[in-house]
Amino acid sequence: MFSLNSFDQLLKLAALACAAVSAAIIIWYLVTRPPLGRLTKTLLLLGLGIMPIGVALTGNMAGYEYTLKRPFCGSCHVMGPYIRDAEDAKSNSLAAIHSRNHRFGEESCYTCHADYQMFGAVTTKLNGLKHLYYYVTEYGNTGPDGEGGPPIHLYKPYRNSTCMQCHSSASPRWSRVEEHQSMLDDIRKGEMTCIGCHTEVHPTALSRRPKQAAATEAPKPEEKK
Amino acid sequence: MRHSQIKKLTYLSAAATLGAVGLMVLSIVSPRPIFLVLAMSMGQGLGTLSLASYLLAIALDLQVTGALVDNVEEDVGERQDEAVRE
Repeated sequence: MFSLNSFDQLLKLAALACAAVSAAIIIWYLVTRPPLGRLTKTLLLLGLGIMPIGVALTGNMAGYEYTLKRPFCGSCHVMGPYIRDAEDAKSNSLAAIHSRNHRFGEESCYTCHADYQMFGAVTTKLNGLKHLYYYVTEYGNTGPDGEGGPPIHLYKPYRNSTCMQCHSSASPRWSRVEEHQSMLDDIRKGEMTCIGCHTEVHPTALSRRPKQAAATEAPKPEEKK
Repeated sequence: MRHSQIKKLTYLSAAATLGAVGLMVLSIVSPRPIFLVLAMSMGQGLGTLSLASYLLAIALDLQVTGALVDNVEEDVGERQDEAVRE
């Protein structure tokens, strides 16, 4: 049974209601084919204009809200290992720890992988389109978790600013760590990365790296989508 | 443009809107990445085009109605011919 317990679901319901009204008017018009009188024109304006605009607006918002959630990221099979790890209650990877945090909740992928800047949401969504392109062109026929496809990697180095949204370098708790104090300037400048030391980000991701590369390079657990 | 052509344009825009709304509903019912992208690009593009074509049909219909005022007999005759043909 459909339950209405979030804004997301309210948007979906509104979109479906608008779509139903629009479809009813259009089907009535196409079946009965009435003359183009004033009433017909007004009804058609509702069915071809106002209601579809309502569907587009509410549907877009509902769609956007859904794209922030972990099940959406996991809907591409290549993300399987990452999602399973993030949802594993026993895992100690950073992804799993953050996913268990109620402040992240189901939006843990987006919170850590969205660009933390002005128009960050836009650039993140544009990168999402790039993900879709690569998914279709390079991972379409790969194994259950994307085996056989090229290794998954970030488009650009992971920025400290993303971690610092929550872990401020000015907070007393953060500053109490000796290593943080000694590397403060480098960390703030980005010359030293957070995940350079906190390496257990997505442990399952390492299993998909080519053996040769894994042997020659130091592990870079920041590798993700 | 003749009255029958205006009606055809309206039917076409109605059918296109149905397709556009269908795509958008698909993205709501089954929010997979490909469906979302299709709904937000093709669905909305098709919806916008069909609304534009409906508004064009209405504008043309109003033009024909305006011509009716100027030349009542000719237009009424044409509409009667169309009715006989249909």
